[in-house]
Amino acid sequence: MATEHPMLSEHVRAEIDRWVAKFPPGKQRSAVISALHAVQHDNRGYLTEELMQAVAEYLDMPVIQVYEVAAFYSMFEAKPVGRCSISVCTNIACMLRGSDEILQHIENRLGIKEGESTADGKFYLRREEECLAACNNAPMLMINHKYHENLTTQKVDELLDAAATEDSK
Amino acid sequence: MTDKRINLEVNGEALEASPGQMLIEVTDKANIYIPRFCYHDKLSIAANCRMCLVEVEGANKPVPACATPVAPDMKVHTRSPYAIAAQKATMEFLLINHPLDCPICDQGGECELQDLAMGYGRDVSRFSEGKRSVKDENLGPLVSTDMTRCIHCTRCVRFGEEIAGIQELGTMGRGEHMRISTYVAKTVDHELSGNIIDLCPVGALNNKPYRFAARAWEMEQRESIAPHDCVGSNIYAHVLRGVVKRVVPRPNEAVNETWLSDRDRFSYEGIYSEDRLKVPMVKENGVWQERSWEDALEHVALKLRQSGSDIGALVSPSSTCEEAWIINRLFEHAGSADLDSRLRRTDFHDQNNDPVYPSLGIPIAELEQQQGVLLVGSDLRREAPILAHRLRKAALKGCSVGVLNAVDHPYLFTVADTHIVEPDEWCATLAGLVVAAGGELPPALASMSNVSSSGSVDYLKHAPSLILLGQMAQRHPAFGTLRYLAAVLAQLTGATLGYVTDGANTAGVSLAGVLPHRSAGGKPRPEVGHNVLSMRPKTLLLVNVESVTDLSDQIDRNAIRQAAETVVAFTPYAPDTLLDDADVLLPIGTWAETSGTFVNVAGLWQSFTGVSNPVGAARPAWKVLRVLANLLKVPDSDYESSAAVLAEMRGHCESALMNNMPEFVAPESSLAERSTEISELEVSLYQGDNIVRRATALQKTQQASHERPAALVSSSTVEALNGG
Amino acid sequence: MWHVAVEDWPLGYGLMRRLIQLLKTFTLWELLKGLQLTLRAFFRRKVTVQYPEEKTPQSARFRGLHALRRYPNGEERCIACKLCEAVCPALAITIESEARDDGTRRTTRYDIDLFKCVYCGFCEEACPVDAVVETRIFEYHMEEHGESIMTKEKLLAVGDKHEATIAADKAEDAKYR
Repeated sequence: MATEHPMLSEHVRAEIDRWVAKFPPGKQRSAVISALHAVQHDNRGYLTEELMQAVAEYLDMPVIQVYEVAAFYSMFEAKPVGRCSISVCTNIACMLRGSDEILQHIENRLGIKEGESTADGKFYLRREEECLAACNNAPMLMINHKYHENLTTQKVDELLDAAATEDSK
Repeated sequence: MTDKRINLEVNGEALEASPGQMLIEVTDKANIYIPRFCYHDKLSIAANCRMCLVEVEGANKPVPACATPVAPDMKVHTRSPYAIAAQKATMEFLLINHPLDCPICDQGGECELQDLAMGYGRDVSRFSEGKRSVKDENLGPLVSTDMTRCIHCTRCVRFGEEIAGIQELGTMGRGEHMRISTYVAKTVDHELSGNIIDLCPVGALNNKPYRFAARAWEMEQRESIAPHDCVGSNIYAHVLRGVVKRVVPRPNEAVNETWLSDRDRFSYEGIYSEDRLKVPMVKENGVWQERSWEDALEHVALKLRQSGSDIGALVSPSSTCEEAWIINRLFEHAGSADLDSRLRRTDFHDQNNDPVYPSLGIPIAELEQQQGVLLVGSDLRREAPILAHRLRKAALKGCSVGVLNAVDHPYLFTVADTHIVEPDEWCATLAGLVVAAGGELPPALASMSNVSSSGSVDYLKHAPSLILLGQMAQRHPAFGTLRYLAAVLAQLTGATLGYVTDGANTAGVSLAGVLPHRSAGGKPRPEVGHNVLSMRPKTLLLVNVESVTDLSDQIDRNAIRQAAETVVAFTPYAPDTLLDDADVLLPIGTWAETSGTFVNVAGLWQSFTGVSNPVGAARPAWKVLRVLANLLKVPDSDYESSAAVLAEMRGHCESALMNNMPEFVAPESSLAERSTEISELEVSLYQGDNIVRRATALQKTQQASHERPAALVSSSTVEALNGG
Repeated sequence: MWHVAVEDWPLGYGLMRRLIQLLKTFTLWELLKGLQLTLRAFFRRKVTVQYPEEKTPQSARFRGLHALRRYPNGEERCIACKLCEAVCPALAITIESEARDDGTRRTTRYDIDLFKCVYCGFCEEACPVDAVVETRIFEYHMEEHGESIMTKEKLLAVGDKHEATIAADKAEDAKYR
């Protein structure tokens, strides 16, 4: 296992190493999902081929296997996307509580469709988010890994404003 | 393995199995067929096609036979209504997204999905939604893709990971969006990559040069032996109206298992190269004239008679035993010993130390059981891909592999002991290993400079172990010294000494006596003839040899050309170099057009018959040589078949044993007379013989374009360049 | 009928028989009997046609000379699947194929030997794209050796010429398939 890598920053390496330590020696490739999370987070929300290559080299595994993992899980993005990622749950509980309306509202406000990013690179609206297990307070959405529940269009506007301000800092 | 046996019952039949075996292995052995797509006995178990679902009494749902270990008193039903319903349901799901393009699919007629759909498919589809389509991948010039047909069995993915050792294909996405891909547009570059064509149960991965050329049912399947490396892989040639359309492996666990190297699979294209020689030709006053076979052979016979014993022959190590034997008889009759088949070798001073025939020293399958292997001057993946695969299997099982080479070629497994030095340093490095193993160097070698006793070869002391002299070692100007040191090392460690030989039949032509110092069966010749470097005959025969590309650079072609009044080339092709160098061209058949016998590197005699129609007036070389022998009145040369030639030859070879360790005589001088470059020793993967060089698809591969010897630079050279 | 020589019959019977025969001979009875059939046929509906001016009606499934069809855009239908070649009981069809420059599967040679063909129509049945058909044409001849081989060009030419009829026949037959 490489201890240094030009593509990976020090704190990403530390994070990966922390995960690698949880697995038995020689099984460092088990940390690939956590490693990709760390790298994606560090790269403002998406992965590049070079970064996946770097993870593969760092964890000493075939790069194609890293691609496989990244392509399999919907939380990894392989193309540049907006910095603030919004996931609106549209599964049945949320749907019954009006998630379609919420989604429509966000689409109208940001002027993008599901799976697209805003032109200024601020927002990314994820496609077809599956149930995030917050049905008790449906409808819900997730902005940058944070849950926001019991949504109304007004509340969504507030959230988006807050996120936009956060982003411009 | 424990001796404990498990009794189980399949379809009412009592069967025995070992604990840990999967159900499908047991039923396969008992000839009870369970349908499957993803299971393959050479690959790991994936259980992702679900076609092999069977009913097990007591289980609350159908279980996949490929991933269910046998249990005592298990009662299995593979054909019960419950099992069949499960299999039919699986088939219906598989067919949801499979296109109905069998009429244009090359797999049509030999497709596992097609066959099983006949048995398990519904006649009407209940699926009325849109089918998905998937973009095709470009996997290079050998494998064509139609990814919409893919049923995601992942055999190709597992092949890359487990057999090839370099995973190039993977499964991207999931569910409906899953596809087999290289992710980034990338070709599959491995010397065994063609095997994914055979593994693919549907038409997703197919043979690109063969694309749309024929249908499976109209071709005849004829057995043959692959002619491009010393393994002698067993093959089937698929022939349509006398033309070889493709080559597939013929399973033989002792030789190639179920695999085949790309070189053997795709070389057949070379048979139909445009520069095939179609009629005998004779050069008269510098102008080539077409002649009849009678005229041409009379002409050659006359020249040979006029030259008496002043004749010589350069014979390809890929010639068949029969050809080699008649040449040997011809030369014995003429009283000449100037014949050689070691075309790229340059060090002959200790040729008496040569074994009767160079061999691996062990059967090919035993390579897997080795505990330690040292490769001396060998790029095994290029020289014999099947041997490299066996070695990889051994290494994965724990065999320690050492490498002495000038370039650090990737081996796709962990190499335990690496010595990457310039070819000129090979002797010193090997001597260092001898010293490290506790051996003493003979006086002539002890004075060798820069012998360092660093390194350890303790891994060779675990029997069984093997020291392999590769083709580069055999072409090395100090081959004698290298071999002596390797033999000493073998004695010290108890390892076997083996060779990876050139061509398809080095063993066979050596046994036939196509050597200046040995006649049939390894008998020493009373008078040693001239070798490939020193022969200057009046009439020279080139048998399946192209004057430039098949010979070492050290051969003085001009001197040979000037000394020779007549150069007779027995050749399937007429390249410009031969048109310049030869005086008579006799068209002979390639391996596909002749019967013959190859002796492989493990001493296995494998005979084959012609599979296709001859191109033009080309004739099997053994027949041409036989007629020549008749014309020259060689006694008892009226062979009626190649089998008769072979029988006579084998009569002389019965006492020849596989023994690479004759009484070695220590070399008298330490170093080679000249220095050498790696580019001189290496032969590119697809440049080895005249047929491969003309295989167009192989020449388009990455390996062919990137691995030209000139492009390879050793690590020390790089350091020197960087330093300077 | 059993047959026994007249001489072996009983004498009385033979005499009677000879008398009847004599009577029939003089009244031209047999001739009249024959002319009776002619007379009957004379008034019956005629079935003879005056070929070649007149032709018998043909079924839409008539199996005559072969043709290769094209799609309306001019692209040849045949995809070189070789099912017709495989099904042909007389081994009359020879196909060679390769990938055309645009990557599609096409024939480079499509020969039907009319001397071998038994006009069974299996090729037409086997064709997944309705490319090879047997047309209504049955009047053709060969003057030179080798003309019996219908090459791809000749077959396509036949198809081009008679496409309207072929398409109409196919449409008529479609409801039974």
